[in-house]
Amino acid sequence: MFTIAPLTKLILTVFVTIWAILLQSIPALTLLITCQIIILVSTRVDIIVYKGIASLFIFAALLAGMQYLINHDTILAVVTASKMIAMTLVFFILLATTRMQDLSAALVLQCHVPYEYAFMLTAALRFIPDLLAESKAIQEAQACRGYSPQGNLIRRFFSYMAIIKPLVLKAVTRSETMALSLELRGFGNRKVRSFGNKITLNARDYALLICMVTLTSYLIIHIN
Amino acid sequence: MLELRKVHFAYKNQSHVIHDVSLTVTPGEFLAIVGRNGSGKTTLTRLIMSLIKPLRGDILFQGNIIPHCTPAKMAHHIGYVFQNPDRQIFHDTVTAEASYGPKQLGYTPEQTATFVNDALAVTGLSELANAYPLTLSKNQKQRLTIASALAMQPKMLILDEPTSGQDARQRDQLLQLLIKLNKQGTTILLVTHDMDLLSACAHRAIVMAKGHKVFDGTVAELFQDVLQLNNWGLTEPAALKISRQLAAVDVKPTTSISELSHHVATLFRRG
Amino acid sequence: MMSYIALRDFSYAYTHPKKVLDNINISIEKGSFSVILGPSAAGKTTLCLAIAGAVPHYFGGSSAGDVFVAGMNTQGSTMQHLALTVGTVLQDYETQLVTMTVEEEVAFSLENMGINPNEVAISVKETLLKVGLTGYEKVLVTSLSGGQKQRLVLASVLATNPKILVLDEPTSALDPEGTESLYRLLGQLNKEQGITVLVVEHDIASVLPHAHQFILLENGKLLASNTPENVLTFMASNQVYMEAIPPLWQLKLALECDTNYQFEPWRREQDAIAELHHRLQEGANKNA
Repeated sequence: MFTIAPLTKLILTVFVTIWAILLQSIPALTLLITCQIIILVSTRVDIIVYKGIASLFIFAALLAGMQYLINHDTILAVVTASKMIAMTLVFFILLATTRMQDLSAALVLQCHVPYEYAFMLTAALRFIPDLLAESKAIQEAQACRGYSPQGNLIRRFFSYMAIIKPLVLKAVTRSETMALSLELRGFGNRKVRSFGNKITLNARDYALLICMVTLTSYLIIHIN
Repeated sequence: MLELRKVHFAYKNQSHVIHDVSLTVTPGEFLAIVGRNGSGKTTLTRLIMSLIKPLRGDILFQGNIIPHCTPAKMAHHIGYVFQNPDRQIFHDTVTAEASYGPKQLGYTPEQTATFVNDALAVTGLSELANAYPLTLSKNQKQRLTIASALAMQPKMLILDEPTSGQDARQRDQLLQLLIKLNKQGTTILLVTHDMDLLSACAHRAIVMAKGHKVFDGTVAELFQDVLQLNNWGLTEPAALKISRQLAAVDVKPTTSISELSHHVATLFRRG
Repeated sequence: MMSYIALRDFSYAYTHPKKVLDNINISIEKGSFSVILGPSAAGKTTLCLAIAGAVPHYFGGSSAGDVFVAGMNTQGSTMQHLALTVGTVLQDYETQLVTMTVEEEVAFSLENMGINPNEVAISVKETLLKVGLTGYEKVLVTSLSGGQKQRLVLASVLATNPKILVLDEPTSALDPEGTESLYRLLGQLNKEQGITVLVVEHDIASVLPHAHQFILLENGKLLASNTPENVLTFMASNQVYMEAIPPLWQLKLALECDTNYQFEPWRREQDAIAELHHRLQEGANKNA
C-alpha cells in the first residue's frame, strides 16, 4: 500500500466514496468495510490509526442511534452508519500510507491544485504535535499555580476553555510569522517550483485504476 | 528543606535521563543548576515540582516524601517559572493573572490583593496592573510570570533560564531582583547558562552532565578546574580566565572584573 | 561608490505616526560581519526586516527614505526577488520550520526556487554537513531540540547560497558551546565565502571575535555605526546601554581609565592576556 502512487490512492478514495453511496445493502457495505480493514491491517500502520478507527466506530454508533430516534428504522440507521464508516475508512488508509509531501505533490502536479492549498495540508499536520505540546505546557503552568481538576465535568470543561485563548492567540501569531517567513524564502513563485517527490504511476497503479473503473461501472449497471 | 535521594528518571523510549541524583537544598540557599542543553537540568526541576515522577528514589520536601504529590500541591510551597512566558499567561489583565495563583491556593480576596500588589511592586509592574498581558514585551511578560509565582508566597522559587532572550539591561534588573528576593529569605533554584550571572548571585552550584550530577559545591569550587568545566560544556567568567593566565605576572585569580582591573592597575603603577 | 547594503534617511512606522526607525543612515560593505545591538524595542528586528524587504512590502505601514541591497532599491523590488540574495533567520525559529522532516525542510527552500531534484539532494547533504546535522535527514522536525531547530533553520536558509545572511537573535535556544560553534560557522562563511552577515545579538562577547562593524540602535534612532572598538568606547564615554559592554571591554576601559595606557582593541580574552602579560612583564623587568 505504501508503494502505490498517491494519485492512485486519491482516486481510490473518490471511488470508495462513490461505492459507499451506491451500495444500499448491509452485507455489501459490511464487505466494503471489511476489505478496507483487511488492507489497513496488512499494511501494518501505527497503533494510533486504530485508536482513530475505534473513535470512528463510536461516532458512527452515536449517529446510528440518532438516526433511529428520528426514523425508528433500524435498517436505515445501520446502513447510514455503515456508509459513514466505509467513506471515512478510506481516508484513514490514504493518510496512514502516504507521506504528506507526496500527497501534496500529487495534488499540485497531477490534479493541478494550486500549490498554496496543498501546502496548507502539510503545514497543518506539521504543527499539530506542536499545538498538542503547547496545550500540555499550558496545563502544566496552570497546575503549577495551584489548579487541580475537580470532579465536576462542567468545571473541568470551563477550565480547559481557559487554555483555548492563549492557544488560539499563539496559533494566530504563529501563522503571521509563518506567512512572513515563507515570503522571505521565496514561496509563492509557482511558475518555477520543483518537486523532488516520487509520485509517478507505474504499471501496478494503472492496473488498479482499471479495476476500480470496472468495478464502479459494474456496480452502477447492477444497481440500475 | 528539599532532598533528593538517588533519583532515577527516564522519559519513554529513552535511556536514563536522570541517573542516581542525590541533592540537598537548605532554606535560604541560592543554588544554580548548570550544564549543557539536554543534560537534565530542566528535568531535575520538573521532578522537584512533581510534574513528573521518579522511577526510583525519593524526593522529600520539608521532611515529607512526595510520591503522590501533584504540582498543584507543590505550588503551596514552590513557585515554578517556566522558560517560555507565553505558555504561562491566560488572563486578561496583569492583576487577574497574578491573582490566579493565590486564588487557587485558597487565599481570601483581601490576602490575594495584598500579595498581588506586593509581587507587582517587587517586579516593577505596578503601573501595568491593568494592562492586557499579550501587549507586554517579552521581558515584561517574564516579570509577570515571576510576579504570578511570587504572589503565591512561595518559600522556594525555581526559575528555568529566565534570562534567555533578554537584553543586558533586563538581565541586570533580573539579577538584582533575584538577589533581593534571596536576601529576604526565598530559596532560589536557578537553571542557567549564564556563568557571569551565576557568579554574581549564586552561593552554590550543581553541574548536570548526561543525567548525572557531576559537581556539587560552592561557586568558587566550581571554577577551580578549567579542563573539567570545558568537559561539562561550561566556561569560566572572563575575569577568572584572564586573571588565571596572568598568574605568572603576579595577578591574583578573581571572578570580578572590577577587582581584576584595580589589581592590574596597581601592578602597572608599581612598574 | 554605493555600499553593498545602504540605508539612506530611512524611517519606518508600522502605524503612523509611531516611528519604529527614525532617519537611519547606515552603510554596510560587501563581505562584512555586522552586529546590530541595542536594548529591546530599539528597532533591531525592523532593521533586519527592512533589509530583507519585508518592510514595507509585507507589513505596509509608512516609510521614508531608501534601502539599497546589493544594488537594488528594496522598494522597487519584490520579496521573492530579494529572497534570492538575502537569507533571513527570524527570531521565532520554530515557526520557520514548515515541513515534516529535516531533509524536506532544507529541500523546501531549494524547491521554491525551482532547482532540479538531483541538485537539491546534493545541496541538502552539503548544507546539513555545514551545520552539523548529518544523519538527521529523516528525523521529524517536531522531535528536534531547540538548538537543533535553530541550526536547521540556518541550514534551510544557507542551502540557497544567499550573498547576504540576516539573523535575528539566532542563539536564543543554544547553550554557550552551541553559540560559539554557530558564530564560528558564520565567521567561517563570512571569511571563506565572502557572505555578508548581519546579526542581531545581545551577548556581545560571542560576536566580538568575528565582527567588523557594530550598529547601535536605541528607540529607533541610530546612535553609532562603526568598528566594534569605536562603538564600545562610545557606549562607555556616553553612558549608553553600558550593561551590554562585555566583561573583556569593561576591563580594558577600566584599565585605560585607571592607568594612562591605551590598550589594543581586544577581540578575545587571549588578546587581553597576551598584551597584559607583555606589558606587566616589561614593567617587572624594568624594576628588576
